[in-house]
Amino acid sequence: MLGKLALAGIKNRRRDYLVLLAGLTMPAAIFYMFANLTTNKAFVKANGVVGQSMLIFGFGAVLLILITIVYIMYANSFLLSMRQHDYGLFMMLGAKKRRIGQLVFLETLILGTVATAIGIVLGLLMSRFLVGFLLNALGLHLAHLESFYLPAIIATAVLYVGLFILASLFNLVKLTRTTVLKLLHTDEQANQPQVKPVRQMIAGIVGILLLAAGYWALANIKMLQMAAIPFAIVTITLGTYLLFRATLLTIIRWLRQTKWAKKHLNGFLMGQLNFRVYNYTRMLTIVSLLFAMALGAITVGSGYHRQLPMMADSLGSYTIAIHDKTAKEQQLIGKLNVVNQATYTQKRQGKTVFYNAAEFKQHPYEFNEGTMTPKYVKKTAAQMKSTDLNSLDFLNLAVLGQNNLYAPKMLNAAKFSRQAGKTVSVTTIRVKNIDKDRATLKKLNQLEMARFPHASELTVGNYQSYELMLAFFGGLEFMGYFLGIAFLAMLASCLMFKILSGAPGDKRRYRMLYKVGVRHSLMRNGIAKEIGIFFMIPGIMGVIDVLFGLQMFKPLMPKPMSPYLGIGSTFAIFIGLYAIYYLITLALYWQIVLPQAPATVDHK
Amino acid sequence: MTSSNAVVDVHGLEKTYGKANERQYQALKGLNFQVAAGEFVGIMGASGSGKTTLLNMLSTLDVPTKGDVIVNGHDVTKMRGNQLADFRAQEVGFIFQDFNLLESLTAEENIGLPLALKGTSSKIMDQAIHEVADTLSIADLLQKYPSELSGGQKQRVAAARAIVHHPSILMGDEPTGALDSTSARELLDLLTTINQEQHMSVLLVTHDPFSASFCQRILFIKDGLIGSEIRRGDQDRSAFYQQILNELGTFNE
Ligand SMILES: Nc1ncnc2c1ncn2[C@@H]1O[C@H](COP(=O)(O)OP(=O)(O)OP(=O)(O)O)[C@@H](O)[C@H]1O
Ligand SMILES: [Mg+2]
Repeated sequence: MLGKLALAGIKNRRRDYLVLLAGLTMPAAIFYMFANLTTNKAFVKANGVVGQSMLIFGFGAVLLILITIVYIMYANSFLLSMRQHDYGLFMMLGAKKRRIGQLVFLETLILGTVATAIGIVLGLLMSRFLVGFLLNALGLHLAHLESFYLPAIIATAVLYVGLFILASLFNLVKLTRTTVLKLLHTDEQANQPQVKPVRQMIAGIVGILLLAAGYWALANIKMLQMAAIPFAIVTITLGTYLLFRATLLTIIRWLRQTKWAKKHLNGFLMGQLNFRVYNYTRMLTIVSLLFAMALGAITVGSGYHRQLPMMADSLGSYTIAIHDKTAKEQQLIGKLNVVNQATYTQKRQGKTVFYNAAEFKQHPYEFNEGTMTPKYVKKTAAQMKSTDLNSLDFLNLAVLGQNNLYAPKMLNAAKFSRQAGKTVSVTTIRVKNIDKDRATLKKLNQLEMARFPHASELTVGNYQSYELMLAFFGGLEFMGYFLGIAFLAMLASCLMFKILSGAPGDKRRYRMLYKVGVRHSLMRNGIAKEIGIFFMIPGIMGVIDVLFGLQMFKPLMPKPMSPYLGIGSTFAIFIGLYAIYYLITLALYWQIVLPQAPATVDHK
Repeated sequence: MTSSNAVVDVHGLEKTYGKANERQYQALKGLNFQVAAGEFVGIMGASGSGKTTLLNMLSTLDVPTKGDVIVNGHDVTKMRGNQLADFRAQEVGFIFQDFNLLESLTAEENIGLPLALKGTSSKIMDQAIHEVADTLSIADLLQKYPSELSGGQKQRVAAARAIVHHPSILMGDEPTGALDSTSARELLDLLTTINQEQHMSVLLVTHDPFSASFCQRILFIKDGLIGSEIRRGDQDRSAFYQQILNELGTFNE
């Protein structure tokens, strides 16, 4: 009987349950994707993810599990907030606590198991399509990437079902421990936290000092080594928490005294915030940290993406070299955005390769003499003869057996024409932006490789270096994006559920406002502002964290590269995604909370 | 009574619950009555007779199926969207059985809400709040939250919120329903004071003869129609109370 009643209760709130179910499937799907990437040995091996990279993977896994726990906690509290009134009522009507406990336990567990199952299927699909899409967008190739991997499925299922069993137990204890009266009136209890100015002030100052210490540690990672990271995580977490705790309530109380608070629904908004912000401090702290990590991961990932071409450019003097170029190759070269192009003639004889000094006079060879930034210097044939003849890198193109190079030699025009030997022409090309011309460069390189299978192995132009670096850093870059997006999805959902769990109580409050004659538009705006503030607080804090935290990558990105380069667009995209979450939460909230005006009947 | 000095003028009011293709129930079957400016009118009737339904029509929380409702010169049935909200905010003061106070706001902020909605300046707002607070003797409760107030105190705060913006009519649906007899009596005395001193019209729905005896005129609803009507005239309250009991006796037969 009671089971039937409970089922009826669920039916009545179909929409809320769908939200919850959708929300719970997502972390399971994300976790599956992650587990699939990290536990798939063939994939990990094939992509040279070793040593330090493995550490990053492990770090990511731990974070993801932590977020999942927090996430399930909030989702669970949303579930509880939906159900406790019903269960309170059942108890008041004489249902045994034990029986109610069983129901709660079963409900949570069933919901969790279904969510996990759907989540894994979704994760499989996402691994298949989304990961491929991401790789494509980044221009990366990762070997042995499969969407179906049994150990990953098992890991996800065990972790999630385990967590849901814990959540069910928690609900059981919580419901059976609370009194019936409290269950019936949970929405109506207002807690009005005390403000103690001196304590608040001290907490605020300590908070700022801790934050400063954390930022300092990240900036000095070179000196502190690995210890900097755990130190910063602890200090920044505590600092953020104390800062929020000290300032938010004080600001709200202060705003409440102003004339502004006496206009329209502002006073109500401030009352709502005052009523909630204290309970939300912990959640806001966690979310701001997750925000920082997600944004940081994506920023670093995209930083590498932007800067690898720069790194490659600093290595050699040309992007690609072509031997005896064919008409087809000429056509491809025409498509490139060429900055510098020169063709030189080689004569290969014995163990020596000869060059025509006249050609170098006509087209001085441009050397890249910069170490970090490319710096091109034109050299005359005479200069080259005296100092640089051995470093003429395109000389390396002429290979004499294995690991055995021709010795280069410069001849004047007359001697060169008389010199016997096999004649080869080499065209060196430098493009403006490797990444932009990558597709064409790839075709050119393939044509070269087909024609000169041996020689090309040593054609180490910047294009080839770039491909090598992509293969090496690509995994990291991908992980950055992947973790960033995964964290964003989870953190925004945490926020969403925490906020949504306040909806049942708000439903009553907005109904009251409706009766008192508050315009619909005013209520909508009020809700948009309130939720907006809860999204903004961790967002702002997270951005600040990242701006300071990027210092950590300075030693890894020597000048002129910088972790701060071009972060504007990354930030904009990230904040755009975050804003989408805000809008979804807002739409759901409006749906749940806003009172429906009575259906208007046409009068005549 | 002409409709020119009527605050409320109800004509042929009908309300049918349920859509055309569902099971329908006609709760109001064509009501006609008026409330004059400054009048204190009670509405009585058995449970399910349609009292709440009527009040919901008057306060625009629900729409009639047929008929006209004119409140202070506004034809309520012709209003839509924001007009309805504004009408509720400006023309009607409402006291609910369950207080309807926002627990996240202090008593003062609760009382000030209708003024804030109007955009009243904070100076005038403070003045108005303190004025009603004095009238209702809740000046020392202003900084408290609803959870810190007793039922009677909550209802006085609710009454203060209902009259702070000087609506043209004050409506109450069993406002004493959740109060003990002392608090109920205090509230009714207050309503009488407000009615007499501020000349605010009051429309009180109740099934309790004692509460009804504070009114000047009582309408009895039966099966969705006004069954009968009695006036207090010059009698004192206890005599009127007796008359109500008698009327209920015959009315319920
Ligand atoms: N939303 C609704 N849908 C369908 N029928 C309704 C609805 N609201 C009320 N009714 C019906 O209309 C009739 C009048 O209800 P109303 O609430 O107005 O009674 P009431 O006089 O206020 O009673 P009480 O003294 O018990 O509060 C009742 O028979 C009730 O069942
Ligand atoms: Mg009623």
